[in-house]
Amino acid sequence: MADTTAYDPLGAVGTWRRRQAKLIIHALLGLFALYYVVPLAVVVINSFRSLPDISHNGLISLPHSFSLDYWSSAWSKFCVGGTCNGIQPFFFNSVAMVVPATVISTAIGSLNGYVLSKWRFTGSETLFGLMTLGVFMPGQMVLLPWARVLGWLGLTNTIGGLVLIHCVQGLSFTTLFCRNYYVNIPDDLVKAARIDGAGFWRIFRKIVLPLSPPILIVTVIWQFTNIWNEFLFAVIFSSGTNQPITAALIALGTADTGVHQYGIESAAVLIAALPPLLVYLFGGRYFLRGLTQGALK
Amino acid sequence: MNSARYGTAMAAVVSFTFGLLSAGEIRAEPKTNLLSQWSQGSDAAAIAKLGEMYKAAGGHWEATSIAGHTANTLAKLRANVVAGNPPPAVQLKGPEIAEWNATGMTLSLDEIAKQENWEQLVAPELLPVMKPKGSWVAVPMNIHRINWMWSSPKALDKAGITDTPKTWAEFNADCEKLKAAGLIPIAHASADWTDATTFEIVVYGMDLDLFRKAFVEGNTDAMRSPGMVAAFEQFRKMINWMDPGISSRTWDVAANMMLTGKAGFFFMGDWSIGTFNAAGFKHGVDYLCAQAPADNGKPGFILNSDSVVFFKQKDPDYLAGSKLLAHLIMSTDFQTIFNQAKGSIPARMDVDLSKGFNPCQEKSEKDLEASIKAGTLVRSFAHNMTILQKYRGAAMDVITEFVNNSNISAADAAKRMADAVEAQK
Amino acid sequence: MVVEPVTFTSVRAVPKRRRPLREWLSGILPQLVLAPSLLASFIYVFVFCGWTIWISVSNSSLLPDYSWSGFHHYVELWGNERWRIAYTNLFLFGSLYVVGATTIGLLLAILIDQRIRAEALWRTIYLYPLAISFIVTGTVWRWLLNPSTGVESLIRHWGWTSFKFDWLVNREMAIYTVVIIGIWQASGFVMALFLAGLRSVDPDLIKAAQIDGASMPRIYRRIILPAIGPIFVAVLVVLLQSAIKIFDLVVALTAGGPGIATTVPSIYVYDLIFQRGQMAEGAAAAMMILFVLSFVLVPYTIWSNWRLRREASRG
Repeated sequence: MADTTAYDPLGAVGTWRRRQAKLIIHALLGLFALYYVVPLAVVVINSFRSLPDISHNGLISLPHSFSLDYWSSAWSKFCVGGTCNGIQPFFFNSVAMVVPATVISTAIGSLNGYVLSKWRFTGSETLFGLMTLGVFMPGQMVLLPWARVLGWLGLTNTIGGLVLIHCVQGLSFTTLFCRNYYVNIPDDLVKAARIDGAGFWRIFRKIVLPLSPPILIVTVIWQFTNIWNEFLFAVIFSSGTNQPITAALIALGTADTGVHQYGIESAAVLIAALPPLLVYLFGGRYFLRGLTQGALK
Repeated sequence: MNSARYGTAMAAVVSFTFGLLSAGEIRAEPKTNLLSQWSQGSDAAAIAKLGEMYKAAGGHWEATSIAGHTANTLAKLRANVVAGNPPPAVQLKGPEIAEWNATGMTLSLDEIAKQENWEQLVAPELLPVMKPKGSWVAVPMNIHRINWMWSSPKALDKAGITDTPKTWAEFNADCEKLKAAGLIPIAHASADWTDATTFEIVVYGMDLDLFRKAFVEGNTDAMRSPGMVAAFEQFRKMINWMDPGISSRTWDVAANMMLTGKAGFFFMGDWSIGTFNAAGFKHGVDYLCAQAPADNGKPGFILNSDSVVFFKQKDPDYLAGSKLLAHLIMSTDFQTIFNQAKGSIPARMDVDLSKGFNPCQEKSEKDLEASIKAGTLVRSFAHNMTILQKYRGAAMDVITEFVNNSNISAADAAKRMADAVEAQK
Repeated sequence: MVVEPVTFTSVRAVPKRRRPLREWLSGILPQLVLAPSLLASFIYVFVFCGWTIWISVSNSSLLPDYSWSGFHHYVELWGNERWRIAYTNLFLFGSLYVVGATTIGLLLAILIDQRIRAEALWRTIYLYPLAISFIVTGTVWRWLLNPSTGVESLIRHWGWTSFKFDWLVNREMAIYTVVIIGIWQASGFVMALFLAGLRSVDPDLIKAAQIDGASMPRIYRRIILPAIGPIFVAVLVVLLQSAIKIFDLVVALTAGGPGIATTVPSIYVYDLIFQRGQMAEGAAAAMMILFVLSFVLVPYTIWSNWRLRREASRG
C-alpha cells in the first residue's frame, strides 16, 4: 500500500531514458553478482565431487564425478569433532545458541536505541559513545577475561555462557544500528504523542515499533550471521556435545595434518550456510519503503 | 499428619538418600573429556575408536575436538584453566609438557608407568619429553617421522633418474635432470610450519651436530655458524626449483602435484600417507618413500610425537578416568588402530607392523631402530618437540620470509634467525 | 503531567509518599531501561580493558601472573619486524577496506532502491557472502586466486595466454587481494544498512524536489544522502571494527603470507598469547590495536564538535 504514493526515483524521466537507465542498472548488478557468486559455485560443484576426482583434477575444475552421498555423509555420518554423527548435533546446538542471543540482543538494542534517540538526558550521548566503544574490542583480548567471568558465574562450557557473551558483545552493535535509525523518526511525532498523554511504552509500541522493520531486520541479519559464523568463542567456551557448528566447519580452511574430504566438507559448509540464507530471503520483506510517509498526517 | 511424624519421615527419607549417594561415591565411575585438535576426517575417526575402547572398558567417554591451528586447542586449555576448570586430559607435546608441568597442575602417572614398564617400551629420545622433571606426566600416542622424501616414479622415469638420491649433491643433480625434462623438481606449499619442516630436513641432512646445537638446544651461536649459512644456501637452491605458486596452496595440493607426476620430489612427514591413500593413490605406482638425503650416510630419523597430558582433578571419577585412559593409550590395541589410521608408527616399540600397515610405515619402524643404534635420532624443531614456542615462532618467521623473499641472502637469513631468537631470551 | 480528579469517596487517608515515588520512577524510566546494558558494557569495555592493560605490564607468560614487570613488553613488541609489518598492514588494509566497502555498498543500495524487479534475488546474492564463515570464503578465494589452478590458469586456458593475476603470491600485492576479498565479504551488509536507511527517508521531501525539477543524482546528493548521515556513521563503525579485528580472512586467504607479508595484528596477538606463551607481550599488542582507534576517534570528535559549533553559530 505504501507503493502507490511512495516516490519512484526514476519517475521524473521519460520512458526511453527510463528503460536505458534500467538496462545499465541491471548490467551493473549482474556484473557485481558474478563477482559475488563465483566462490559459491565452486563450493556447490565440489560438494558433488569425489576426493580422487578433486585430487587428480584440482579444486577448480568441472566435475568428473557426481554423487549425492557427500550431503548425507556431512549431515549424519561424517566423523567430526570427536563423534561420527555428521554435523547434525552441532547444527542444533548452534540454533539453540543463536536464536535466544539474536532475539534478546535485538530487543534490548531496539529499546536502547529508542531511549538514546527520543528520551535523551544529560550525558546520554557520552554514554552512547562509551557503549559503542565495545564494538572495537578484539576477541583475542577479551577471551581470558570472559573465561574468568564465566567461571565465576558457573557458565563455563555451556550454551548459556555463549548466549551471554554474544548478547553483551552484540548490544553495542544493536544499540548503534537502532539509535542511528530512530533519530530519523521525526521528533514532532513523539512530542505530539506525549501531549496526548502517551507514556514511554505506549510511544514505543504505537510509533517507534511500527516504523522499525527495516532496521530490525538489518540488526537481526547482523546478529544472526555473526553469532552463527563466529568461531573463536564458539570453540573455546563449549565442549564435547554442546559445540556449535563452526567447531565442525573450520576444518575446510585449515592446512593441518589431517586428510581433507573436500566433497563432504563442501556439503557441510553449504548446509551450515542455509539458516542465515533463509533469514536473508525471508527477512527481505521487511525492507519496506516509505514507512514514515503518512505518519505525520 | 502431625508435624512430629512428618519430621521423622523426612529425616528417614533424607538419610536414606544420603546413604544411596555415598554408597555410589565409594566406587568411582571412570570418566574423561579428552581435549585435542583431531576434529575431522581420519583423525576424528581414530579418536572415535579410542572412545569406543574406553566405553568398552567401562568408562564414560567425552571428547572435545578443536579444529584449526593448535593455538586454538591451547587457547581452550588456557581458558578452562583460568576459569578454574582444567580439562582432565589434553593433547600436548614437546616443551609444552614441561611448561605445564612447571605450573604444578599436572597429574603424575608414575604408578601406571611402573606397573606397565613404560621405560622399556618407549623410545629413549621421548623419555625426557614425557618425564620433564623425572616423573611421568604424559603418555605418547605415536611417533611421526619427519624426514621423509616422497618421489613420483612417473616423474623420475621421465627425467631418467633410476635411484632416489642419498646425498644432497645427488639430490641437486637429480633436480637439474627434472628441470631439463620440463617438470617441477620440488612440490611445495609455503606456510610457516611446512617451510620449517623442509628446512630442518636440510639442516639435519647436512650436519647432524649443527641440528642438535641450533634446533634442539637453541644455541644462537650455532645459528650464526657457517654451517647454517651453507644450509640456507642449499635451501635457496631448492626454493629456486619450486614453482612460483607455493604460497597460495596447502600442502595436500602440493602433494597432488607430486602424485600426479607433475613434480618430482616432496618433503613432508608421514601423515601424508593417510592423505595419499584417501585420495586413491598407491605406493610404488604413484609415490615412493625414501629417507631424505643425509650427507653422513647413516640412517636418520627426525621424530614428532603426539601425547596426552592429564591435569589434577577434584572429582574422583575423573581421576579414575585418567588412569584408565593412560592405560588404554599405551595398550598395543590402541597403538595399532590409531597409527594405522594416522600413518605414523606406535610409540611402543614392541608392536608388530607387518599387518595392516603401509610399507612406508614398516620402513619407518626399521629406520627408527637403526637410527637409535646409530645415535642419530633427534626430535623435530619444526613440529614443536624441542625449543620453547617463543624461540621456535621467531625462527619460523625468519625461515618463511626467506622462502618468500629472494632478496634475503643465506648469510643474512642465518643472522636474522639468530637475532630473532636471541631477542626473545 | 496528568492531573487526577479529586474524589471524596475515599475515607482512609492515602499515604502521599507513594505517588511521587511512582512518578519519580516513571521519570527515570528511560535511564532504568538503559541501565542493565550500560552496566554490562561498562564491565565489558573498562574492566576487560583494565585487565589487559595490567597484564601488559606484568610477568605473565603461560598463564596470567599479576606481578609488576614494567613497560618493556611494549619496547620488545616494537623491536619485532613482524609486528611492524602487521601494524602497517592494518592501516593500509583498514583505509582501503572502509572506503571500498562503503562505496560499493552504497552503490548497490542505490541501484537496488530503483524499484527493479527481482529485488529479493539481488539482495540475497549480495548478502550471501555473509552467510558463509570468513574462513571458508577465504579458503575458496585462495583456490580461485592461485595462479596455477585458479582464475589465471583458467583464462590462459581460454586463449589469453599472457594474462597474469598472481597478486596472491606477490609479496607487494598480496595485501590488496585481502582488501578485495574483504570488500567482497562486507559490502553486502553495508548495502543492507544503506537500503534500510534509504527506505526510511520521507518520500514527500523527494517528491517535492522532483516536482521542482531536480534530477535524481542531485536529489540523492543534496537530500537523501545527508538525511541518512547517522546510517553512514553506523556503516563506518561497523567497517572500522571489522578492519581492526581482521583475523579469519587473512588466516584462510594467505595465512599471513607470502612469508609474513600480509600478517595482521590480531593474528600476532593470538599467536603471542596462546601459541607462544608470551601473554604480557600479547596484551601489549592488543592495547596497541585499540590505540589505532585514536587515529579515527580524535579527528572525528574534533570534526563533530566543529560542526556542532558551526550549527549553533548559524542557528
